[in-house]
Amino acid sequence: MANISVEAIHLTKHYGAYNAVDDVSFSGSQGEIIGLLGPNGAGKTTTIRLLTTVLGPTSGEFSIAGHQSTAATEIRRCIGVLPESSGYPSHQTGGEYLRFYARLYGLSRRQARSLSVELLAAVGLEQWGRSRISIYSRGMRQRLGIARALVNDPSVVFLDEPTLGLDPAGQAQVLDIIRTVANARDATVVLSTHLLPEVEQVCSKVVILNQGRVLVSGSVGEVIGRALIEHSAHLRVPLHHVERARQALMQFPGLTINQVEGQPDLLRIAVETPGAASAASPAEAMNAGLTAVTAAGIPVLRFELEGARLSDAFLKMTSEAVA
Amino acid sequence: MTLQVAPPAVGTRQDVQAGEGQPGWLVVAQQECRDLWTSGRGLILLFLFSVLLSAVTYLTSTNQALNFLEQRESVNLVLQFAVAVGVLATLVVGADGISGERERGTLETLLVTPVARRSIIVGKLIAALTLWFATFGVSIPYLWVLGREVGILGPALALGFGVGTLLAVGLGSIGLLISAACNSNKTSIAASIFLLLILFAPTQLPSGLPQGWFFEVLLRANPVASGLAYISALLVEGHAWTQDLSYLITPLLTAIIAGSALIFAGPQLVRLTRGVNAG
Ligand SMILES: Nc1ncnc2c1ncn2[C@@H]1O[C@H](COP(=O)(O)OP(=O)(O)OP(=O)(O)O)[C@@H](O)[C@H]1O
Ligand SMILES: [Mg+2]
Repeated sequence: MANISVEAIHLTKHYGAYNAVDDVSFSGSQGEIIGLLGPNGAGKTTTIRLLTTVLGPTSGEFSIAGHQSTAATEIRRCIGVLPESSGYPSHQTGGEYLRFYARLYGLSRRQARSLSVELLAAVGLEQWGRSRISIYSRGMRQRLGIARALVNDPSVVFLDEPTLGLDPAGQAQVLDIIRTVANARDATVVLSTHLLPEVEQVCSKVVILNQGRVLVSGSVGEVIGRALIEHSAHLRVPLHHVERARQALMQFPGLTINQVEGQPDLLRIAVETPGAASAASPAEAMNAGLTAVTAAGIPVLRFELEGARLSDAFLKMTSEAVA
Repeated sequence: MTLQVAPPAVGTRQDVQAGEGQPGWLVVAQQECRDLWTSGRGLILLFLFSVLLSAVTYLTSTNQALNFLEQRESVNLVLQFAVAVGVLATLVVGADGISGERERGTLETLLVTPVARRSIIVGKLIAALTLWFATFGVSIPYLWVLGREVGILGPALALGFGVGTLLAVGLGSIGLLISAACNSNKTSIAASIFLLLILFAPTQLPSGLPQGWFFEVLLRANPVASGLAYISALLVEGHAWTQDLSYLITPLLTAIIAGSALIFAGPQLVRLTRGVNAG
């Protein structure tokens, strides 16, 4: 097991009678990207503020890169943070902004200057270092914020909704940077976001919060596994192959095939009375059907078990928690 | 597009540990000064101030009939004006210090750096004080024009600098304390302007009014008014510098109390949100 670099132990934050964060525990190792998920108001930002020493916990403790929660200055030295909806001094230039923060970590002017050039290039802003932040687009600001979070070469990076309000290209760019931060710098990244498909791509671990409590945490696979409905799937084939695919699947008495309304190229396959028709498991019955389709030479555009996405798991678990 | 966020050549964990750079308060003070002076806020204030000083100086220096006492009075006037404006500006800039960062969403990024809260607040106070130093600097040539013939330039400068710096430290600290206590910048600026009105009101009373003990108490309780009274006593009435030292008690106490409150309680006040719930 790699080094644990982030660990929250029974972390709790009360605002009066309201529990914004309630007994939250999780951990992350070096180089890991941890997705911190949850609906609005779940306590993601509060958790990040606790772990970044901006707020003091009501109870519980945590450690960051081997420093206990009481050693706030040591923790601050080795973390990088992009706060939620962080503001930028619009009259400063991007370069000036980065140099200032680099110097706050004890770098000399000379070191700060070369570091700012390097970081601007790292986030694709090398052309913009001398421009005022006021003319930066939202995506550029977010990338500048990430560059700022890297000035001290942190061992743990906290990013609170870094992709908020970015277009798809901007989101992809930011996720690309995040992946590189974790891989090339071997930093742990704690990423709070609402972009579930992206979390599925970049995160090795997810923690789903709801009303201040951890609903579930574990690897993406484990979390999805909890919500998986094995006896139902969707199959997409080219439109002119739909009839043949349906016939290929009809050979299996255990499967019901339905056209998904409004989507003529999409079939919903269900295993009837799972486990009863044959000794095979629903997944095996499903695979047999899929094999028959491919054996008939029909190109499969998409085949997916229902609930096989993080967003399905997320919705299922957060709605169950409310119910 | 592929981006390379490779491990850096500089700014590595080792560099950060070694800390070759300057102390945090100095870095903060330098940046705040840049912001203050390059954003134009400071320069506009200085420009308006020098226009007013020019008018005053022009009116008094072209009046050939001025006698010796009137010249001393015009030196006093310009000096009081410089102190009042400089101190006012320091207070207002201080009042923007914390609440402004809260409102612009830039405080949290400062709070997650290893720089101590105290260094942040000291850096901001120093930057606010530069406004006073600049107003004082701008008033020097005017004081020279007005005061060279009556031979009080040296004492006037020393006096103005001493009293003004004392007041600026006190009120700049109060501004920062107000700012730390307010969640919104509007509240903070409004509160400090209200304070200014209180502080400057007694100095605006016509001198012909009966000045009983009540007025004296009001005057002495007010750091700005008693500081300015000390300046007048020396420059206009020609008192020895030791004669009215009691006027300096309030300015001195204000600077000491507000300054130490800032230094000692500041770290508890520099927070993301104000109030007991703030963590
Ligand atoms: N200073 C505060 N005083 C009182 N309640 C607060 C305070 N800060 C946050 N809360 C409450 O704590 C809860 C958690 O807030 P938090 O910002 O951590 O949620 P979040 O998961 O980040 O939500 P979002 O996805 O909207 O960013 C919310 O219900 C919020 O109203
Ligand atoms: Mg949030």
